[in-house]
Amino acid sequence: MRFSIFRYNPERDEKPYMQDFDVDLKPTHVMLLDVILHIKDFQDDSLTIRRSCREGVCGSDGMSINGRNGLACVTNVRKLKEPVELRPLPNFPVIRDLVVDMTRFWKHYHSIKPYLVNDEPPPPKERLQSPAERDKLDGSYECIMCGCCTSQCPSSWWNPDKFLGPAALIQAYRFISDSRDRATPQRLDDLNSDPYRLFRCRTITNCTEVCPRGLSPSRAIESIRLRMLNVDGHQGGLALHRVPTIR
Amino acid sequence: MKIGFSGLNAWLLQRITALYMLVFVVVCLVHFTVDPPHSYQAWRGWMMDSTISITTSAFFAALLSHAWVGLRDVILDYIPSVALRVGLLVMLASALVAAAAVVVHIFWIQAA
Repeated sequence: MRFSIFRYNPERDEKPYMQDFDVDLKPTHVMLLDVILHIKDFQDDSLTIRRSCREGVCGSDGMSINGRNGLACVTNVRKLKEPVELRPLPNFPVIRDLVVDMTRFWKHYHSIKPYLVNDEPPPPKERLQSPAERDKLDGSYECIMCGCCTSQCPSSWWNPDKFLGPAALIQAYRFISDSRDRATPQRLDDLNSDPYRLFRCRTITNCTEVCPRGLSPSRAIESIRLRMLNVDGHQGGLALHRVPTIR
Repeated sequence: MKIGFSGLNAWLLQRITALYMLVFVVVCLVHFTVDPPHSYQAWRGWMMDSTISITTSAFFAALLSHAWVGLRDVILDYIPSVALRVGLLVMLASALVAAAAVVVHIFWIQAA
């Protein structure tokens, strides 16, 4: 199977280029990550990627696979159209090969205050939450911050520094929905503080399309807009959708 | 320099004006199908009726507001340079105000 992989080492290369690798697939090569590590082990150990859990829960190995963002460790290699084109996540600065600089992504995430804000005296054990209140976090807490959504979002492409992006916004929704948090009005005011932070979203839904966890950031953003109008659009959590197969 | 509405206000205005325009267009289509005017004078008389004038003026106000929010969104999305963005927004605002002046002139000054 042929793989065409984006290569760029700023210390050595003037500009990026695509390098082809041919791999005889073994039975152990089930997911794309298995093949990438095989290439690294047996063909070119300078190939640079991020990876960790190898089971789709850490978000490290997000990349563009045949033009569509996804996680290499949960992408079935035999379903991919050849030659398989691997590129780094779009619109992030490239550090090397398939590794991108996620500084801006994390800066947006930190700006939405991704922690519980509650100045009430802490209870003896934990701040309690009913099962119904806990259900409201479904469909947003599962986000692994892989960056696939934000990287595939056209509004993020046009205003990467000012628009927060789907990942930060679905996390903002997670804390707005949390019954233990007491800063909902401040969170909503912050998202409405200028026309860029949330309102560049045009509901294009690329984010929902590529999320490897089946989440719907576009629904979360819609829910935040409704909350700004004091309308609780989703009584329970957000539904997960089937993750499309990358071909 | 901020020209226009906050994110939520603009988003809401776009939807409310869209709804009003949809209802207005449907009502007009039904009226012109069921009871079409048979002469220019009949049409003019219908348009210059005070209720129709007010609702039609409101339609144009909705249209121009809707256009402002939509085109402002396009400019905010695609124009990164602040100076160029402000310039284009000022030109857009001027064009829409001029269009509003034409509507006022037709319905309320010339008709009087």
